[in-house]
Amino acid sequence: MQRNRPPSPQTVSVLRALAADPARWRYGYDLVTEVNLKSGSLYPILVRLADRGLLETSWEPGVDSRPPRHLYRLTGAGREFVAALAAAHGSPRTVVRSRRRLSEA
Amino acid sequence: MPFFLVLLLTPIGVAIALYRRNPRRFLDGPTEDVPLRLLRWAISLLSPQRAEWGQAMLGELAHLDGRLQRMRFAVGCTGAALTLPPWGRAGAGLWAMTGITAASFAIYAGLVVDFRLGTGGWILLAVFAIICVGYLLGVSALLRRSGVALPGLLGVVFATLVWLGLSGLTAVDQVTFIPSGWQKGVTMLAVPAAIGAACTLWRRDPATGRRAARLAALTAGLLELLYASIAVAILGGGGPPDQDGGYTIRGTVSDRLGNNIAHLAINTVFIALVGWAAAALTGYLVRRPPTPDARLIADPTQET
Repeated sequence: MQRNRPPSPQTVSVLRALAADPARWRYGYDLVTEVNLKSGSLYPILVRLADRGLLETSWEPGVDSRPPRHLYRLTGAGREFVAALAAAHGSPRTVVRSRRRLSEA
Repeated sequence: MPFFLVLLLTPIGVAIALYRRNPRRFLDGPTEDVPLRLLRWAISLLSPQRAEWGQAMLGELAHLDGRLQRMRFAVGCTGAALTLPPWGRAGAGLWAMTGITAASFAIYAGLVVDFRLGTGGWILLAVFAIICVGYLLGVSALLRRSGVALPGLLGVVFATLVWLGLSGLTAVDQVTFIPSGWQKGVTMLAVPAAIGAACTLWRRDPATGRRAARLAALTAGLLELLYASIAVAILGGGGPPDQDGGYTIRGTVSDRLGNNIAHLAINTVFIALVGWAAAALTGYLVRRPPTPDARLIADPTQET
């Protein structure tokens, strides 16, 4: 069952941070510092966004002995969702409608 | 009194045992510090579908340098790993235990309000909330381990049925039951030992048996707590008088709620400890000794 709850303020902050430069791949810790969220809050948000197809992920190969690093950026659907979010000016109903459209697409 | 000594000494004993087994567990190593060890443990709790996210957290931690920064990141990720919902049987078990715990808490809170138990009641309710969260985090961690959910949850059913069989099913039975010597032996020794041994034999792995015993301990405590809380809600301050006598209605309700929490703690400690020991002993006893041929291959100098 697809839930159509409006996104939380933290999720909106992450989406906006990612949408600031949508073509750029971002590191998890960069988002932690930029959005001022704890890692324990950020990763569940990233997991949910990726599950819903709003976020794409990639791996940056490890350098020296360091392991590969995960990268994130918005998908096309994610950009469309953020645009709908911005257009809604915080009106939850519009956001819900746009999410319903996305889930039906 | 012996129970309280056990409750007091158990955590100390477990900490000493863990330290003796691996002193570096609590110390930084040359290549692995505490945040890395913590995060490695946490991501081992993630379901296979989420394994990539665990690697993402590890990769990110490897690029952080400050000790405080690393610790904060690792603690946050550990919280995320514990609260990200598990899948399948583990997920169903966790939701069921969350529901049972929430129901117990709601009944407890309702009784505190209904009987106006005052500041002491609210303090005990706050302590109870912390205990509930701790239990659920423990259940969440154990349920995610491979092969633990089903034997652990069957162990819960077994322990709870034996307890209810001995105490009786009615509300009065629940608030007045004081186990005799042999009943204590059954509920605190025989049943936990059977759970630990059976889980080890079933999974053929002492580590899984020990985890299943711990899971059974936590969940049996929560399940019996719910039953006992319902009993207190049904009776309130009524029912048979307490043996001590002289209580007000509020005092009686408060006393019964306190007894339930004490039973939760004692039950958990005994099932976990005895089950853990039985699982370890069973694993030791059923461990197959190497065959003579295998010994010869391993040590050719003994071939004369």
